[in-house]
Amino acid sequence: MMKKKLLAMLLALAMVLALAACGGSGNNGAGNAGGGSDQPSGGDAQQPADSGGDAGEERKSVKVGLICIGDENDQGYTYNFIRGKDAATEALAAKGIDVEWVTKWNIGEDSSCEDANIELAEEGCQLIINNSFGFEDFMLHVAKDYEDIEFISCTNQGSWNDGLDNTHNAFANIYEGRYLAGVVAGMKLQEMIDAGTITADQAVIGYVGAFSFAEVISGFTSYFLGARSVCPSVTMKVQFVGSWSDATEEANAASALADMGCVMISQHSDNTTPATTAQSKGAFHTGYNNDMIGVAPEASLIGTRIDWSVYFEYVIEAVANGQSFDQDWCHGMDEGAVVMTELNEAIAAPGTKEKLAEVEEQIRSGKLQVFDTSTFTIDGQELTTAMALDTDGDFTPDSEEAVFDGAFHESYFQSAPYFALQIDGIEWLNSAF
Amino acid sequence: MKEKKTPLVRLAKRDGMEAWKVWCIRACSVVLALLLGALLIAVTGSNPLTAYGTILSGALGKKTAIRQTVKIAVPLLGCALAIAPCFKMRFWNIGAEGQITAGAIAASYFALFWAGRLPGPVLLPVMGLAGAIAGGIWALIPAFFKAKWNTNETLFTLMMNYIVIGLVRWLQGGPWEGRPGSQIIPQFDPSACLPRVLGVHCGWIIVLVLVVFMHVYMRYTKHGYEIAVIGDSVNTARYAGMNVGHIMMRTLFLSGAISGLVGYIIASGANNTLYDGVAGGVGFTSITVAWLSQLNAFAMVGISLLLAVLSKGAETLQTRMSIPASLSDIITGILLFCMLGCEFFINYRLIFRGKSHKEGVRS
Repeated sequence: MMKKKLLAMLLALAMVLALAACGGSGNNGAGNAGGGSDQPSGGDAQQPADSGGDAGEERKSVKVGLICIGDENDQGYTYNFIRGKDAATEALAAKGIDVEWVTKWNIGEDSSCEDANIELAEEGCQLIINNSFGFEDFMLHVAKDYEDIEFISCTNQGSWNDGLDNTHNAFANIYEGRYLAGVVAGMKLQEMIDAGTITADQAVIGYVGAFSFAEVISGFTSYFLGARSVCPSVTMKVQFVGSWSDATEEANAASALADMGCVMISQHSDNTTPATTAQSKGAFHTGYNNDMIGVAPEASLIGTRIDWSVYFEYVIEAVANGQSFDQDWCHGMDEGAVVMTELNEAIAAPGTKEKLAEVEEQIRSGKLQVFDTSTFTIDGQELTTAMALDTDGDFTPDSEEAVFDGAFHESYFQSAPYFALQIDGIEWLNSAF
Repeated sequence: MKEKKTPLVRLAKRDGMEAWKVWCIRACSVVLALLLGALLIAVTGSNPLTAYGTILSGALGKKTAIRQTVKIAVPLLGCALAIAPCFKMRFWNIGAEGQITAGAIAASYFALFWAGRLPGPVLLPVMGLAGAIAGGIWALIPAFFKAKWNTNETLFTLMMNYIVIGLVRWLQGGPWEGRPGSQIIPQFDPSACLPRVLGVHCGWIIVLVLVVFMHVYMRYTKHGYEIAVIGDSVNTARYAGMNVGHIMMRTLFLSGAISGLVGYIIASGANNTLYDGVAGGVGFTSITVAWLSQLNAFAMVGISLLLAVLSKGAETLQTRMSIPASLSDIITGILLFCMLGCEFFINYRLIFRGKSHKEGVRS
């Protein structure tokens, strides 16, 4: 009896084995053919093949690690980094530099980030890029043990006082792009006022923010100032959702704002749901990180995003040539690091395109300061002094006067935004986050 | 009524399988799991053998890799040890996640606000003690309700997790927040971080001591015996004059205290800070560790290392072969499923229709 059973089991095992073998051989072929189209491995898998083909010329190659908080499916924050990565790879290939990327997806802001940094360092990466604010502390645990490897923490600020030469920070003057998006929104609102669709005091913008964090505050303030530069009666309500990425909460916030009478919605959060909600509520929308016209063609006017390829190209080229590069990098429209997505001319106010070009030129040339202190007040007073940097680690800025020459100089002393003031005309509906 | 048909397959409990057969079945289950995993890897277009090789070399190939693997195994082992007495007692404590978090909060309080006031050698034990007490209390609450009003401990302990994780979220965005709006609690002062021994924070020594302690506690003490009796039959325990409620609360406090200690180890040793994902699923994964080890403290060392190897190896798999790291979760899942599933065939036998008259065991 027992023997029979054992035989049956063996038979079953043999069948499974056979199945596995069939599946294995059958899929190997298919796998090779489909290797390029395989989503996550796509760019990475092709790279070695490229470098092999061009080995004849004198080409340099760099191995770069990229640690991401999400993956490209977010269609927002991480996706924007991946676009930058792909564009930089292409541009560098033309310059004779082959980049081998090793990308880590969905890493948490905890010791698993430390592990990811160690792993990439041990795999021989010469440059390791951390894409999220919360990664920096864990990157710093590792950076001191690998002096020959350059570490970058995007959007963070530790490198200028951590005492290490191989740590770097980078961000872009996204407030410039926000200001321009604000101009587009303001022109639309003014058009609605002129047409009698809304009264002057009904020009209310609703803003879906992640947290009451300097990067977010700086973003919506510049957006508001842009809108007010062309629509003087505009006001704004900000709703914080308490998460960088929560599609449902973002939609809820946008919906609540629209119900409160906001006719224009914008956002600093990762999903496209504020755009689709705006459309379903009959409001207009301007986006961030990605072109949202595709998901909300009747609402989305324009978007702005950081083009990371500019920075990636700069640092990778420096590493390839054995040169040093900036510890703290921040550029905007001057270098093309901040770009506008396509303008939805079907619904934008007439003349928007020309106005955009004009303001962009003024920003580029430095003629227009986004945080011009004559354009806003705080508790009815003009801003005369504000500190930029925190040097003693108590999280209150205490050095470097940011207000001079009639403007607050954002991202001037360090790349990470430090404008965290509440200006008149913007109402914070909640600030618990 | 029709005549009742014998089902195609019936189950019967079996006892006393020879040891070599038991191990044969277990080995088969591992082989089966590896084959199924290989199938999956093949589907993604990679060579399964290379992939398994990468997992091993990624987890154990280098000194730094071994350190990381050990770092992953430490909380799993510690928490499995914490859960073991509860499960032995058939008290389904699935709140280890929350107990870890509670311990981490208490330890973090001292790390954040007492770092300057207490010397390092005093601060670390104080943090550990605070963590253990907080974790213990967090487990004691559901035990008290169970003992007093016979509430459902599974739901109760589970719900307690969400409360304490919510509490951390509040601390992160509120009173303990570092840079305004960042939702990040600052890194601890170096004096509040566990020192490293052989390149890994010394939490590994703490849990190894706990392994011995738990083995002795469960096997050779009166407490351990009482736990075993309650696990077999609450009525027997009562008949023998044991105060079941009291023993339950005592055991849960101990279990929670160890979980809290694990929370302290994670916060102080691995992360050097507190955040809402501090437990990171350890409280749940360690249940599997405990079951796979059949609540044997020494077996837990091996099982937790096995899971750590898979987890670390999977990261390397993603790094080197661009295989999504989530695939390793699937492989781990298959492995656990097969290993736990094979226990079924060890404890039961299948009886097929047609020969039932010979096998008609009814016991």
